[in-house]
Amino acid sequence: MLSARLLTKRYGALTAVEDLDLEVSAGELFGFLGPNGAGKTTTIKMLAGLLRPTSGTARIAGFDILTEPEQAKARIGYVPDAAALYDKLSAREFLEFSGDLYHVERRLRDRRINALLQLFGLHDRERDFLSGYSRGMRQKVSLAAALLHDPQVLFLDEPTVGLDPQSARQMKDILQDFCQEGKTVFFSTHILEIAERMCTRLAIINHGRLIAIGTLEELRRQVGSDGQSLEQIFLELTGSREDDVGAVLRGLEG
Amino acid sequence: MTPRRLADGIGLGLMLWRTQLKMFINQTVRSRKPGRLLAVIAGAVVLLVLWAWEGIVTALALAASHRVSFNIDLPRLFSFGFFAYTGVLIFSSLVFSLNALLLNPDLDLLLSSPRPVESVLAGRMVVQFLRLLLLSLLFTLPALVVLSVAAGNPLILVGFAALYVVYPVFPVVIISLATLFLVRFIPAGRGKEIVTVLSLALALGINLVNFLFNPALRDSALRPRRGAAASLPDLPLASSPWLPSGWAGRSAAGILSGHWLLALEWSLILIAASSVVFAVGAHLSGRLYLAGWINAVPPRRRHAAVIRSHGSVRAIPLLDRVVSSIVIKDWRMRTRDLAQLARFAMPVIFLFVLFGFRSSRLLSSVQSLGNGPVAAMLGLLPSWILLLSLSSALGLTAVSLEGKNIWIYAASPNSVLRLLQAKCWSAALPTVAAVTLVAVMTEAVIRPGWLWAATATALAVVQAAAVTALMVAIGAVFARFDWTDVRRMLHPVAGLLGIIGFFTVIGTSALLMAVALALATAAHLPLATTWLASLTFSAGGAIAAAALALLLSASRLQRLELG
Repeated sequence: MLSARLLTKRYGALTAVEDLDLEVSAGELFGFLGPNGAGKTTTIKMLAGLLRPTSGTARIAGFDILTEPEQAKARIGYVPDAAALYDKLSAREFLEFSGDLYHVERRLRDRRINALLQLFGLHDRERDFLSGYSRGMRQKVSLAAALLHDPQVLFLDEPTVGLDPQSARQMKDILQDFCQEGKTVFFSTHILEIAERMCTRLAIINHGRLIAIGTLEELRRQVGSDGQSLEQIFLELTGSREDDVGAVLRGLEG
Repeated sequence: MTPRRLADGIGLGLMLWRTQLKMFINQTVRSRKPGRLLAVIAGAVVLLVLWAWEGIVTALALAASHRVSFNIDLPRLFSFGFFAYTGVLIFSSLVFSLNALLLNPDLDLLLSSPRPVESVLAGRMVVQFLRLLLLSLLFTLPALVVLSVAAGNPLILVGFAALYVVYPVFPVVIISLATLFLVRFIPAGRGKEIVTVLSLALALGINLVNFLFNPALRDSALRPRRGAAASLPDLPLASSPWLPSGWAGRSAAGILSGHWLLALEWSLILIAASSVVFAVGAHLSGRLYLAGWINAVPPRRRHAAVIRSHGSVRAIPLLDRVVSSIVIKDWRMRTRDLAQLARFAMPVIFLFVLFGFRSSRLLSSVQSLGNGPVAAMLGLLPSWILLLSLSSALGLTAVSLEGKNIWIYAASPNSVLRLLQAKCWSAALPTVAAVTLVAVMTEAVIRPGWLWAATATALAVVQAAAVTALMVAIGAVFARFDWTDVRRMLHPVAGLLGIIGFFTVIGTSALLMAVALALATAAHLPLATTWLASLTFSAGGAIAAAALALLLSASRLQRLELG
């Protein structure tokens, strides 16, 4: 469903992502983890066709995102980390606009909008301007827009940020249902518990390079220890040591 | 308020001022961006030219005043000047204070620092005094330098600078206090719009007052004063010895005429009163703030923001669905956001101020030309001015309008060319409608003959569409997607190129028409034929220029990474 070969993105001397190889199958809920600045957002943006890779290729549902961007994008739903939305549109208007952009047939679009507004609990405020929405509500609108054209691959960049526990749970259920229909979810997150519980496979990126990929069990085997939590595996692989943090904090005292 | 807190506030104000200057320098001189550096150099050159012009005019006026004897009541004149300046101060303080309280994100940062609230609010006021000093010097520095040099006394410059700092204290403090009351009644999240309304009122107010009272503009259709000598405006209240404008006016007159003791007396009164007002105002502001005047605003649901109509606009006939949805979305964005709305409402209002008051005189001048193509073309002047305003306001910003939301389009399965197509429609529809309306109205009033009127109107319509598309293309090449303030949507280079593009298209049209008329006269060709030929060339050229620019901008946008 989704594949990347030697995907690289350079900004001058800075290499944000280097030689990334990925293969994600249909029905997978794929977690993409990494510390801040590791290259998660850049990778997602390249896969979603928002950034042009310096080199390498990516295919979505069989379409090359560089040479056949329109066909590939028609099969992608994308939810950015801090979704900038049109503040002076209502949620319904925004979803209608999104549906039109993705060429969703009008009656089908309206039916889906009603269902999605209901699903996300936004129906009673569907005619309020988005400027009045909280971050969590905007995130829901953004996800609803991404689902509206029934994509085959859903890219989510930090989707749970700003969501209350119920909404985060709801999003988790929605994503799992989505995958059960044979579609693919590719999402980045900092909340490792969510990734541990939800994802069928995980990848960890650090300094722009993929350092681990596989199921939780495979990752455990990779670091050579059984029963470790994803957090411990993550810290070990990315080289973040708690001892260092403690030493720095103690150094700040007095 | 204790002197320590007051001093802390002044210190904080100076610190904030230094930070703002640093930010300005970082964004301009130190930005290492050639475009910005060029803009800074161009701005500096323009400023120097204007300053030189002001200096020369002041020197000439000074020389003339030595040759001709006349009596000017200087205290009265300066008092009136300061009184008029108070109006500007009231509006600008209102905008600044609302901005500071509602929009600037650094207020929380400042208030969370270990400084008294009074000091923070006083610091904000100090920043405003310094800004106003800079503004006053920007306008009057060359004149003051010339006067100082002529009088051989540099203290003139220093004295006026001191007045510029102290005089705004009264209005700024009072308005800052009033703003704290006002903020309570502004619905949460509407600050930006309120500030925009006030800014617009300020701009319009200044223009209107200037139009009505400026002696240079007094000979207008509104106030015909045949044979009346131009006189300086006066308002006896302004020079009252009980008002700050009277104190500042007397002090300024004293400084200029060398009566230093008199100047000092009135300056001291102004400084003493201003200091008291500043201290009391800062203290009261702190008290009000701590009493929760801002925080007490309940986070209410904004009924005004709710869209009441349930029937949403479906589509625009004959337009593709994606294009149509973008056009409708853009229209909603432009009309629902006051700052956006102002971008295309203001040109119309200014056009009215410019032409409306003088319409009868202008029309009679054009009508005196009789029937024919010349009258028809002159009748297009208001349409062209409107076209310049609207096409640059809507066309140049059409692509940038997406701002940070560009990711929505970039992630969708649509081409860049379609985005440009949609943006052309989005900007051209209102522009063409308004230009056509004005062209039809003026031609109907002028009555140059139906053939000339109809063809001139048709040309205006084609030009409106083509120029707007050209502006969209230029705006796309210099598109900005990182703006947060509507005023920063337009790239200055795009603005400059847009104006050049407009004048090239319109100038070429005018030239072609002049050539057509000359040919018809010299070679005895039928006037209608040469006229229609020139119109065809004009329209074709404009369309070709727009199409070429759109193709170039599409290739430029394709190279950009949107999102």
